[in-house]
Amino acid sequence: MADIFNFIFGVVRNIFRMFSSSRNPLNNSLNIFIKCNTGNTLTVGLDPKWDIKDVKNIIAPKLGANPDEVKIIFAGKELDDSIIIEDCDLGEQSTLHAVKLKDLSIRATKQKKCSLLRETVEDEDEITLLQEKNNRDKSHFYVYCSVCAAMKIGKLRIRCSKCKSGAFTVDTDPKSWNDVLKPNKISGHCEQNDCPDGVFGWAQFYFRCAEHICQGENDIAVPLYLLKNNLRKIPCLACTEIKDIVFVFTCREAHVTCLECFRVYAVLRLRERQFVLDDSFGYTISCPVGCENSLIDECHHFKLLTKEQYEMYQKFATEEYILKAGGVLCPQPGCGEGIIVDLKCDKIVCVNGCGYVFCRKCLQGYHIGECNSVDNNISIDNIQHVTDPAKALQARWDEATNVAIRVTTKPCPKCRTATERSGGCMHMICTRCSFHWCWVCQIEWSRDCMGTHWFG
Amino acid sequence: MANIASQRIKREFKEVIRSEEVARCSIKVELLDDNYSQLKGEIAGPPDTPYEGGKFLLEIKVPETYPFNPPKVKFLTKVWHPNISSVTGAICLDILKDQWAAAMTLRTVLLSLQALMASPEPDDPQDAVVARQYKGFPEIFISTAEHWTNIYAGGSRKKEEYSKKIERLMGIGCNMDQALVALSGCNWDLDKAIEQIFG
Ligand SMILES: [Zn+2]
Ligand SMILES: [Zn+2]
Ligand SMILES: [Zn+2]
Ligand SMILES: [Zn+2]
Ligand SMILES: [Zn+2]
Ligand SMILES: [Zn+2]
Ligand SMILES: [Zn+2]
Ligand SMILES: [Zn+2]
Repeated sequence: MADIFNFIFGVVRNIFRMFSSSRNPLNNSLNIFIKCNTGNTLTVGLDPKWDIKDVKNIIAPKLGANPDEVKIIFAGKELDDSIIIEDCDLGEQSTLHAVKLKDLSIRATKQKKCSLLRETVEDEDEITLLQEKNNRDKSHFYVYCSVCAAMKIGKLRIRCSKCKSGAFTVDTDPKSWNDVLKPNKISGHCEQNDCPDGVFGWAQFYFRCAEHICQGENDIAVPLYLLKNNLRKIPCLACTEIKDIVFVFTCREAHVTCLECFRVYAVLRLRERQFVLDDSFGYTISCPVGCENSLIDECHHFKLLTKEQYEMYQKFATEEYILKAGGVLCPQPGCGEGIIVDLKCDKIVCVNGCGYVFCRKCLQGYHIGECNSVDNNISIDNIQHVTDPAKALQARWDEATNVAIRVTTKPCPKCRTATERSGGCMHMICTRCSFHWCWVCQIEWSRDCMGTHWFG
Repeated sequence: MANIASQRIKREFKEVIRSEEVARCSIKVELLDDNYSQLKGEIAGPPDTPYEGGKFLLEIKVPETYPFNPPKVKFLTKVWHPNISSVTGAICLDILKDQWAAAMTLRTVLLSLQALMASPEPDDPQDAVVARQYKGFPEIFISTAEHWTNIYAGGSRKKEEYSKKIERLMGIGCNMDQALVALSGCNWDLDKAIEQIFG
C-alpha cells in the first residue's frame, strides 16, 4: 500500500517539477543519509526542491510509521513540513535524523515549530533583519579543514554531548561564540532511543568543512572564529582596504586586518621572534596596535599561514617550549635544534640535529672540568701546570679548540645561540633572534658601546 | 617595496596633504620616489619654543614591514634638542621604537615630533651634551636652540654675542658647524671651545 502511494506521489511530483520554475539551475538529486533513532541508516537521493513532508513520506514506511509520526531533525532543530530541502543547507552526504514518535501527545506539548537554526551566530544585534537577509549568501563560518588542508567555509552542526547522536534538538539558539565553544551552555532533548540523557541533555557544537564530501563522524573541522565576514565594511588597519573576510583581533577595540595583512604581520613577528609562549593559549601574538590582553587565543588561526610558514611557526614554538621546560637549543650556528636535557649530565649531544657535543652549562664544546667563565681570558700558562704528559697533551688540544670556539663565537645574550664574529666590529646581530648585542659587554648594543669600543 | 606598505603610505600621504595642519603650513610631506619608500617631511617649529619660526626637514624611510614596524625618521635640519642628535639628526622618541603601533600614520608621527620639540624629555636623551645643558643651564639652552634655529632653520631670534664668538673661531680656521657645535657644547665658553677643538 505504502509503495503504491510512493509511486503515485513520485509521478505527481515529477510532473509538478516539469512545470515549476527552477530557483536553482542545479537540479541534481542530493545523496543524503537518514539516520533513524531505531539505529539503522538509509541512503536516499533527495530532490533539492522537495519539502520535509516529501521526505517524511519516503521515510515513514521504512520506520513502519505514518508520515505524521515522524519528525526530522537537522543541526539541532526539528524541521517543519513546509521547509524546502535546498533551504536546509545540506551538503552532499549530510545526515538527517529521523525519529519515530512513540506518543503523538508528546509532540503536541512540545515546543512550537522552529525555523532553521540560523547559520551564523551574530554577536551584533544591531544589524537589521533585512540586512541579515541580504548578507545571508556572504555570511559564513570559517574553519581550518585538515582534509582540504586549507581555510574553508564551515557548517555548524549539533549533536548530543552524551551519546553523540545528531537526533538532538536544542531548547534555545546559541547567541555567541561562547555558547558554541564552551561545553554545557545550550540544553536540549536527545531523541536517540538508548541515550542516557534523553529528555534533558546538553548540546555539543562542532563544525564540518562545507567544501568536501563528509567522510564520516570524525570528519570535523576547527572553527577559526576570529575570521568574520566583513558585513560592516571595516577597512584593514594595515593596508586600509575593505575586504570581504577579515581577521578580528581579541582586543576590546576589536581591531581588524585583512587576511593578507594578518599573514604578513604574523610572519614578520615570527621572524623577529616576537611571539610569546602563553600558558593557556600557546605560542601566539597580540594585536598589531599593541592593545592589552589581545593575544590570539586559538593557535589554529596560524594555519592561515602557508605550509612553509606554519612549519617555521611549529619549529619556533617547539624551541620555546623546550627552553621553557629547561631544555637547550643546539648552539652550533645554523642548527638550533631543541634538546631536552638531563639535569644530572653536563654533556649534551645534538642527537636529532648536527651531532655537536657540547657543555650544558656554558654551551661551548664539551669539556672536562669547570667551565671557563666568559670574562676570563684563557692563559696558555695554566696548561703547563698539568703534570701527566698524556693528559697535558689532551688538555692542550681541548683548550686549543676551546680557544678557537671562544674567539670566533659567543652565545647571544638573549637566546644563547652561538654567533660568529668576523672582522673587528663589536656590534653583533644574532642570526636567530635578530638581537643587537655587544661582543665585549655581552649585553644589548648601545650608544655607549659605540663610543667606547665599537671596533677593536 | 611590499604592496601593503606602499598602499598604506599612499593613503597616509593623501591624509597629510588634506590635513588642516598642511593648510596651516604646520606640516608637509613630499615624495622622493615613485614607490613611496622615501619621503621628505617638514615641520614648523612650534610657537612659544626656541624653534618658533624655523622649518625643520626630515628624512622619512618607509621599511618593507610598514606599518607593522615604524618608519625610520631623522632630522635633516640641524637642531639643538635633548632628544635629537645635534650631529646625526637621530631621534629618540618611543613611538619610533618599541611604542610604535600599526594604527599610527605619517601625520601622527609628524605631529608627535612637533610635540617632542615643544616638550623635550631630558631623562631619555639622544644627545647627552644637550640634555645636560637643558637641565643645568636652561637659559643658555633656550638661546642656543634659538641660535641654531636661526642659522639652520630660518628662525629670526639670535644672539649677537654668539655670532661674534662663532666668527672668532672661524677666524682661526674652524668651519661654522664645528665652531657652533663646540661653543654650544661648552655653554659658549670661548676658551673651553678652543681647547676642545685644538687641544
Ligand atoms: Zn574540507
Ligand atoms: Zn543522546
Ligand atoms: Zn590589509
Ligand atoms: Zn587592538
Ligand atoms: Zn645541532
Ligand atoms: Zn662548560
Ligand atoms: Zn639571539
Ligand atoms: Zn659594549
